[in-house]
Amino acid sequence: MNLKFNYNIIAQFSSIPLFLLLWQWVSDAEIVNPLLFPPPTRVAEAFYRWATDGPLIMDAAMSVSRVVVGFTLGSVVGIIVGILTGRYQLVASFLTPIFGILRPIPPIAFVPLVILWFGLSEGGKYFLIFWGVFFTVWIATHLGVQRVDQTYIRAARCLGTPEHRMLSQVLFPGSLPFIFVGLRTSVSIAFYTLVAAELAGAFSGVVYRIDIAQQNLQIGQVMAGLLILGFMSAIADKLFSVITQRIGWWE
Amino acid sequence: MMKLLKSLSSKKSELPVVAEPKMKRGSISARDVEISFSNDEQNHIAATDINLDIKSGEFVCLLGPSGCGKSTLLNAVAGFIQANAGTLTQDGKAITGPGRDRGMVFQSHSLFPWKTVLGNIMHGPLMSGQSRINAEGTARTFLELVGLSAYANSYPKVLSGGMKQRVGIARALANYPSVLMMDEPFGALDAQTRLMMQEELLKLWDDLKITVLFVTHDIDEAIFLADRVIVMSASPGRLIADIKIDLPRPRNSDAALSLEFLAFKRQCSLLIREQTLAAFDQQH
Repeated sequence: MNLKFNYNIIAQFSSIPLFLLLWQWVSDAEIVNPLLFPPPTRVAEAFYRWATDGPLIMDAAMSVSRVVVGFTLGSVVGIIVGILTGRYQLVASFLTPIFGILRPIPPIAFVPLVILWFGLSEGGKYFLIFWGVFFTVWIATHLGVQRVDQTYIRAARCLGTPEHRMLSQVLFPGSLPFIFVGLRTSVSIAFYTLVAAELAGAFSGVVYRIDIAQQNLQIGQVMAGLLILGFMSAIADKLFSVITQRIGWWE
Repeated sequence: MMKLLKSLSSKKSELPVVAEPKMKRGSISARDVEISFSNDEQNHIAATDINLDIKSGEFVCLLGPSGCGKSTLLNAVAGFIQANAGTLTQDGKAITGPGRDRGMVFQSHSLFPWKTVLGNIMHGPLMSGQSRINAEGTARTFLELVGLSAYANSYPKVLSGGMKQRVGIARALANYPSVLMMDEPFGALDAQTRLMMQEELLKLWDDLKITVLFVTHDIDEAIFLADRVIVMSASPGRLIADIKIDLPRPRNSDAALSLEFLAFKRQCSLLIREQTLAAFDQQH
């Protein structure tokens, strides 16, 4: 173990405490308005109250459930459609122009329409997240299927694989590495879209609570909410990176 | 007592042991076959005037310089491409597409990397509607036959090139094909492994006596393996010689040093050399 290595460890472990100290000092010294920029102690306090007296568990559960439902729907449909467009030129020729128009529209822009369609129900949130996830997973699957080695397909045909089983036996596993890149990208998209979905009108959820706190000028809780959101998104990403490493076990 | 017997017999069905597999020995027939393919809006004739009969249980090597259309012909027999003239039949039926009755071993082993060795061999039997237990029994039989039982649960990535090709052969055989087609299967192996694989293939063939159509550009390989070596001309491919290799069987590596072997080698070499020069002249 050399000196340089120790310095790195020290830098790594001191960075967050130093950052918090600096933040505390900036706030306490009233260099900025502490009402708008509360110190970390106040954020921690807000977090504690939210967790004990407030509906933190409920908010987090609602947000996670929206992401999970929307993400699952978007992924499943995206994978199925991607396998079909990747395999059948006719399906691709038909769907690509339509997707070409719809895909570039930012999912957040659908909020006004979704409010009319779904009101403030959960369906609207699921729909927005589905919309954000679907196209990314679709494209990744589509490309993955087209890159499946032709000799695997030939070998499978020689072995008497019927077409409908070709999809599940060869094209799906063959494109899994691509699909997982798409899924991982979609996790962060799902969280972006969650923000829009909850800001558009909800009765619970982490972002909804941030919105309410902002209106009450409870900036401590706003900041606590942001940290929770970042934490959830990071956990989800970490989960996917672990699964992704396992999914290409054969390579 | 009856209960015991019953449990014993049900145990038995869980441990399927298939004896010496009963292979089919089909035949292939080509009449005035022509195969062309188009690229750059030009029509190239890859093989023409192909007349060929591969009899039941025969080991036939298709030998030719690279680019002569021998793989194209094999792909037509496999059903990947269609002949644009003539008739191509297997056991009297016209070949219309790839099928389980014509097994194929590829040069690039093409084992499914996401399946285990056993899973790869089980694929064919499963696709034909066999139960998992039966498919596994079949797969284990053929895995045993190629001597790789110890690797049943390994993934292809851990196998050497020669082992992968043995699994490829077992996978093709597990469908009990009428004809086994091999497209330069040992072309990517080093010289020592290749010799070993040739001997093993012959041993397997001596046991099973299946019909084999083997494509290669390696003269020694063709003579060592085949009952008949069919020599193909440079493009467009024509069959220019049909040489009966009457070297005694079983053959081992010593066979390749006999005078008879060398005579066949001289005969083939002259033909191939002529064709290679012709191909060279065409291109320059």
